[in-house]
Amino acid sequence: MDSVLKACAVYFVLWAIVRISGRRTLGEMTAFDFVLFLIIGGATQRAITGQDYSLTNALILVATFVTIEIGLSLIERDSPMMRRILNAAPTILVENGHVLAYRLRRARVTEDNILEAGRRLHGLERMDQIKFAILEPSGNISIVPNERSGRVETAWPEANSLTSSS
Amino acid sequence: MVMDELASRKYPVREHMRFQCRLWTIERIGWLVLALITVLALLGLFGTGILSNRSISAGSLTIDYDRFERVTRQAEFSFHFAPSSNGERRLRLNRAFQTNYQIASIQPPPARSSADGLDLTFAAPAGSAADVVIWAHPHSYGTMRLEARADDEPPLKFSVFVYP
Repeated sequence: MDSVLKACAVYFVLWAIVRISGRRTLGEMTAFDFVLFLIIGGATQRAITGQDYSLTNALILVATFVTIEIGLSLIERDSPMMRRILNAAPTILVENGHVLAYRLRRARVTEDNILEAGRRLHGLERMDQIKFAILEPSGNISIVPNERSGRVETAWPEANSLTSSS
Repeated sequence: MVMDELASRKYPVREHMRFQCRLWTIERIGWLVLALITVLALLGLFGTGILSNRSISAGSLTIDYDRFERVTRQAEFSFHFAPSSNGERRLRLNRAFQTNYQIASIQPPPARSSADGLDLTFAAPAGSAADVVIWAHPHSYGTMRLEARADDEPPLKFSVFVYP
């Protein structure tokens, strides 16, 4: 009985902590964040298992966690409101090259983070080449490049000057 | 400027900015709560620390203990007896102690013990003070109403909260 209750308590406390730590810390996991999560796992694992190392206890815990997980996914599927609460919603950070500074501040994202995502995903160099930057529920930043002033335009003059000089 | 940023966009994704702002606010309250828990833990609200350490005395007995304990975590109770002409010191603990704690060690070991609650008798030189330390693991949680009696003095009552 108490195994199930402990598992539920740990599940929801950890969920709340991960949720308030914010999307920034979730999506962009560094090597150190990974170590930190391992430590958090180890610290809570002992509280759940206690001194009960039996196979039965392990099965009860696994069953409880998977049941909660499936239950929440069913709720998310049926209720858009709950989906937003449980899973966050996407937020637009850059709109037609214009940085939405207030949102960046609240979401703890810097302009450098957006430029980095632009470079990594599309090879973009400047903010005005970004049509939309969107902070996804997963914590990743998605970039939609601007078709007009994409990198094609800026790349060609250089290529031309190289060919003409040789 | 900020007002414009607070407006929900519909393209390329459907936003709910009012909801999002509320979430951001809750997030910040959550940070404060986490920080508060850390500070309170440092001060000893969840175990050893200045908020937890207590010392009570009555008659010839002084008890040092922690007001807050955690289940299965070893707790220390130290009993100090003022000098007395008696060659033996008797310490009696009530049934709440016996049923909720698993005793790990008693220093010094009692010369005699009896099963009325927990009735321990220690050999001690007459005319000098005596100290007894009991290390014990609480195995249930909640408020423990404990009582300790030195020799035939009235019981010294104290309570301990054990966190789950």
